[in-house]
Amino acid sequence: MQESVLSLTNVGKNYGDFKAVDDVSISIPKGSIYGLLGPNGAGKTTTIRMILEIIKPSRGDISILGHPSALDVRNRIGYLPEEKGLYKKMKVWAIIQYFAMLKGMKKQEAKDRAWELLEKYGLKDFAEAKVEALSKGMGQKVQVLSAVAHNPELVILDEPFSGLDPVNQTVLEDLINDLSNNGQTVIFSTHVMQHAERLCDHILLIAKGKKIFDGTISEAKATIPRRVILETNDSIDALRSIAGVNNIEPFDTDNNEVSANQWQVQIAEQVNPQVVLKTCFEKSINLNRFEFNEPSLHDVFVHLVGEEAKAAEFR
Amino acid sequence: MFKMIQLIAYREYQENVKTKGFWVTILIFPVIFIGMYFLQTALSNATPTRYYLLIDQSGQYEEAVNIAIEREHQRRILQDFVSYLLENRTDMDLDLTAANTSSSVDQLIDDVDADEVAALDEWLDSGGLNFALTMASPYLEDDAPPYEQPDPQFIEADLPRSVELNVSPEEIINQLRPYLVGDRLITANGETGNLFALVLIPENVNQDISRPGTTPVAPDSTAGVQYWARNLTDSRLPDAISASINAEIREREYNQLGVNSDTIRNVQRTRLPLNQLDPSAEAGEEAVSMADSFRQFAPIAFVYLMFVSLMQNVQYLLSNTIEEKSNRIIEVLLASVTADELMMGKLVGIGLAGLTTIAVWLLSFYIFIVSYDSNQTELISEILEVVLSSELIPWFVFYYFAGYALYSGVFLAIGSLCSTLKEAQALIMPMILIQIVPIAMMAFVVLDPNNAIVRALSWFPLFTPYLMLNRAAADPPMIDVVGTTILLVASILLVLWGSGKVFKLGVLRTGQPPKILELFRLVRAKH
Repeated sequence: MQESVLSLTNVGKNYGDFKAVDDVSISIPKGSIYGLLGPNGAGKTTTIRMILEIIKPSRGDISILGHPSALDVRNRIGYLPEEKGLYKKMKVWAIIQYFAMLKGMKKQEAKDRAWELLEKYGLKDFAEAKVEALSKGMGQKVQVLSAVAHNPELVILDEPFSGLDPVNQTVLEDLINDLSNNGQTVIFSTHVMQHAERLCDHILLIAKGKKIFDGTISEAKATIPRRVILETNDSIDALRSIAGVNNIEPFDTDNNEVSANQWQVQIAEQVNPQVVLKTCFEKSINLNRFEFNEPSLHDVFVHLVGEEAKAAEFR
Repeated sequence: MFKMIQLIAYREYQENVKTKGFWVTILIFPVIFIGMYFLQTALSNATPTRYYLLIDQSGQYEEAVNIAIEREHQRRILQDFVSYLLENRTDMDLDLTAANTSSSVDQLIDDVDADEVAALDEWLDSGGLNFALTMASPYLEDDAPPYEQPDPQFIEADLPRSVELNVSPEEIINQLRPYLVGDRLITANGETGNLFALVLIPENVNQDISRPGTTPVAPDSTAGVQYWARNLTDSRLPDAISASINAEIREREYNQLGVNSDTIRNVQRTRLPLNQLDPSAEAGEEAVSMADSFRQFAPIAFVYLMFVSLMQNVQYLLSNTIEEKSNRIIEVLLASVTADELMMGKLVGIGLAGLTTIAVWLLSFYIFIVSYDSNQTELISEILEVVLSSELIPWFVFYYFAGYALYSGVFLAIGSLCSTLKEAQALIMPMILIQIVPIAMMAFVVLDPNNAIVRALSWFPLFTPYLMLNRAAADPPMIDVVGTTILLVASILLVLWGSGKVFKLGVLRTGQPPKILELFRLVRAKH
């Protein structure tokens, strides 16, 4: 078992009768990139705030970097909150220096580090500008830099991609990968699945405060049955005997009309879809269509929390 | 812990001190103060020369009135000359008392101080300005500018040629009315100007003299001397005329009664000096000097300084907290430092900004005094010296910090509960108003520092810093000092503890500030 930098055991938070977070347990391995996914109002920010001990959980235990409270290891954690903001009147390099110093860095060391980061991530020309002169996206990049300037072992980013243009989203993805390559653990929350899919080793999916799924990306995808879509006028009975084919049923098109010649073949996780294709050739089944797509994380998300997310929106 | 507080305090300090607004606020106070000083001087010098007409149909008083107006002019020269002397003579010493005057210059200054009328007689008898200049010259500093006497304020105008005098007072007024209301200009010494006033003494004015026992004249009648002028506020001319005519009448009464008026005047000038002595001073030092009087009033300066400075700090405290809150910077901060460290850092940083304000004020007054040396500024510098060397300094420092901790603790808690400055301002209004009470009382408290009501109010912690500082110069009873201090320190601890809790909860709140009851629940709830 890998070393865990953060583990939550039955952690929950109540606001009055409302359970914002309902008994979540997770364990985050060192050096991983961990995605915290969930629809709006799922409890992501509350979970993050509890991890950081900005608010106290109503129940459950947290172990962070080997300590029961984030306050003990504050200087080893970097944090970017969901709503972004910086002191408007400060210079860009000075604000990074300031936050790094609050995390225990020496003055000169923090200043050097600020300039180094600004140069590396393309903000050197703005180093002497005041924060109020920056665009929203640039301000957000500065804030990310100020969260990681002190080389924290654990970086927690709440919705780091929101409000960034595609180019800067890529820059941020690079930054997160850099951190991970450096052995630092990154936890970030998002509701944009593509980022999570590209970056994360592990994800936690929560909805309405409950843990829906916790595991690797491929494990997540396995929760959706893998399927091959076929269109043929021939009999498909021969396919039923393939080992690993679990079920064949008429394919539901998007408009919920069952067409007579389209089939959906569910295959087990370890089965290569090529086996189905090969069998079709051998049994002379004429195919008008053969379609196999790995499910995306987006599909997983919709599959797992779709109904609940919709319900939450109309609540 | 301490390092974090220091870091936060330093940033808060810099953030405030580096803004233009801070310096504008700071400098506007001395600028207004100094501006007022110059404005006042300029205004008193800028009073225009006023032209008047005297028509004495009785033929008895014209001379007396003219003498009186000349006398008023001489009085101004005397006053002006004395302040010129104070400014330019050598060996300035404000600790002077009546007992140790030495030179004739000191004598003159002291006489003017003690009995101006007598001093003026003396001045006129001895030859006025020319004599005084000769007498004072050995005592003046080498670089003293030559003395310039002030222009006369009242000049008798030439009677317009068309005016017929051998008619009734009503007709004279009618003839001169266009001049009095400003429709026509009058000439005097070759210059033209507005007629300021007309003094009309009717022919049989002596019938209206009132004596003890006669029925007083109705105030709205035209009996007696008539003073016609549109300006009703400048009373110097009517006062001088009234005084001179009455003096003349009395002189005649004395003569009728066979009393020598010189004897009377000499009797009236007899006086016994009253020296204020301080029983708590050391032997030989009991005489109360000007500096001692300042010392008694110094608490007012301190109380006022404290009030202005606290009010300024509070604004910064509120706006900074609300900025952090609305920007959500607070969340990052709380992931780095504890709420207590954040709060203490803010209090210390902004407190230092407040001290900077006070230092800049004192410095700017000092520069003003050094670079603009005059009689009045000597007085200010004397006050400043008394204030700075005063034994009140430790009191001021203590009560400043105590008052700051108490009030800003409350304001910080309020700031943490509000998302906008507007919301906050509604909530801090009662806290500002409550400070008006000790401020409004401060002049009274200096006069009667150990009054029962003042003593009782001193025990209310929100008043304690102001009232006890106000009373500090008058040796308040030990029970008051110790008791109120204990109460004050206890309430500061309580307020900081409570604000710490509210702050912790408030900074992460969004939306409307909580109701009072909800607030109590928040503070009492365990987190």
